[in-house]
Amino acid sequence: MFHRRRATMAAFLLPAIAVYALFILYPLFQGVYLSFTDSVGGPISHFVGTDEYKAMADDPAVSAALWHTVLYAVVVVVVQNGLGLLFASLLFRRPRVRKALNVVLLTPTLISPLMAAFIWSYLFAPNGGLNALLDGVGLGALKHVWLGDPSTALYSVATVNIWMFTGYSCAIFLASYLSMPTELLEAAALDGASGWRRFRSIEWPLLAPALTVNVTLSLIGSLKVFEFPLVLTNGGPAGATDTLTLLVYRNIFGGGKFAYGVAIAVLLLVTVVVLSSATNSLLRLRERRV
Amino acid sequence: MTSPLTTPVPAPEVGRPAGKRDAPRPRIAEPWTPRRLAAGLGTTVLCLGTVLFVLPFVFTIVTSLRTAADVARSPLGIPHSFTLKNFTQAFSQIHYGTSTLNTLLITGLSCALITVLGALAGYPLARITAGWSTAVYRLFILGTSIPVFVVVAPLYLLMRDLNLLDTYAGVVFIYTALNLPLAVFFYTSFIRQIPTDLEEAAALDGCGALRTFFVIILPLLRPVTSTLLTFISLQIWNDLLVPLVFLQDPGKRTVMVNAYSFIDPHTVQPTTLFPAALLGVLPLFVIFIFFQRQMVAGMSAGAVK
Repeated sequence: MFHRRRATMAAFLLPAIAVYALFILYPLFQGVYLSFTDSVGGPISHFVGTDEYKAMADDPAVSAALWHTVLYAVVVVVVQNGLGLLFASLLFRRPRVRKALNVVLLTPTLISPLMAAFIWSYLFAPNGGLNALLDGVGLGALKHVWLGDPSTALYSVATVNIWMFTGYSCAIFLASYLSMPTELLEAAALDGASGWRRFRSIEWPLLAPALTVNVTLSLIGSLKVFEFPLVLTNGGPAGATDTLTLLVYRNIFGGGKFAYGVAIAVLLLVTVVVLSSATNSLLRLRERRV
Repeated sequence: MTSPLTTPVPAPEVGRPAGKRDAPRPRIAEPWTPRRLAAGLGTTVLCLGTVLFVLPFVFTIVTSLRTAADVARSPLGIPHSFTLKNFTQAFSQIHYGTSTLNTLLITGLSCALITVLGALAGYPLARITAGWSTAVYRLFILGTSIPVFVVVAPLYLLMRDLNLLDTYAGVVFIYTALNLPLAVFFYTSFIRQIPTDLEEAAALDGCGALRTFFVIILPLLRPVTSTLLTFISLQIWNDLLVPLVFLQDPGKRTVMVNAYSFIDPHTVQPTTLFPAALLGVLPLFVIFIFFQRQMVAGMSAGAVK
């Protein structure tokens, strides 16, 4: 009886496996195969070995995009989680406003990346909100063509990303704060440990799992950023904000270099897998040490 | 942990929830100690930070209610006019009625399919401890880190061959496959925490696996389902890439695709841009107001697990 029961239970898996295998796993392997061909999306294609990858290695646009993608991810991961942690630790110490402000900070997370890009494309415009604000508070000297200057464009795009998801990092840190053992925190307070001391030697080690989650999530999210650079700059000025995702999209659906685009997508996959698993195992190692 | 035998007089602090103590209340007559200074500085940073995060929203809402001429005169000035014309224009520009219905249909169908398939798969993965079941579970978890860009090109060819381009069904299948890994992860880890006693009793009474699942397991899955749904409905509603690539038929386009194709942020006035942005997020905000508690809990709890 139990044997038949297990067989029925195993059958519950079939629909999920079928959909997942057909629409994710098969395209994944097909994509890796296509990156070794000269396919243009039609039925005819020839195996060309590593030609696309060799072309990629010689293409300055690809190495620039890879650099922008990694730099963007590092900036977003550091600033977003730093701010999230700062807000969470401040909110934890102010129980009366904690819930309300947490909700307020989470609001940008709800809007779509496209809509956030709409709002900020005006704020960053030469005659837009940010420059008008700087003028208004007497800091007119700091006015800038935020998205038009190659040296600030990538950071401006990252700002939108950080604005959207800092509330999310904060919520995860705050949840971790609220699950800390009360006795430990009270003992430290009674012993007269200073605020910084308490943070450094008690709260920070206890926040380790939340840090792992936050860093991993924001890293994966920012490596595959698409809507922000697409709408705000479309890769410009002069390719200063070209990311791997933009190159993939442009080559596959715009340039007719189908197989090349697929090969860049494989590079993106390798980047995401290598960086996220490396950070993840480093942080898990750290969790065990502290 | 603290048994009544070892603590004859229970300290009132111990029983209090974590949130009820924290920073010492500043006493009025005390001089400026470094600690009070730090607390004051913290409050200032918090207030300033919150204002900076909310300001773009307030600015968006206020500007979308002004006339274009008024905004051009002084972008940050005090509004001299009030109009809803911007909204009616944006409404027709992005075909808001049709595109909202399309997005609702796609989001709803995908969410339903993800929930059903994910819960069905999570049950055996949580209960069967054989090696193959762990392997299948790992295979699903692998999917949580695959960016959609990696599969988008071969997926396009597959959809073309299956005649699923420009169909709701095609997009729903893609979203289901993309979100199944997360759903499987949520349901498997949740069902593992449910004690097996009830199921064993049901099995002894001759209740089959299918009936056990629907009668005993399914009703218990409500909390994890609401967490999962808030998360994936946000993802699907807000997504641009999948409908942009796979749903080009003008009558089937989603809100995001219409907003992206009909509005160019570089040439268009904020009085067109902002109402469109607000209309795009409006349905989600309405849902958020109703489910605020579950959403905040879900978004943080789901990630910590």
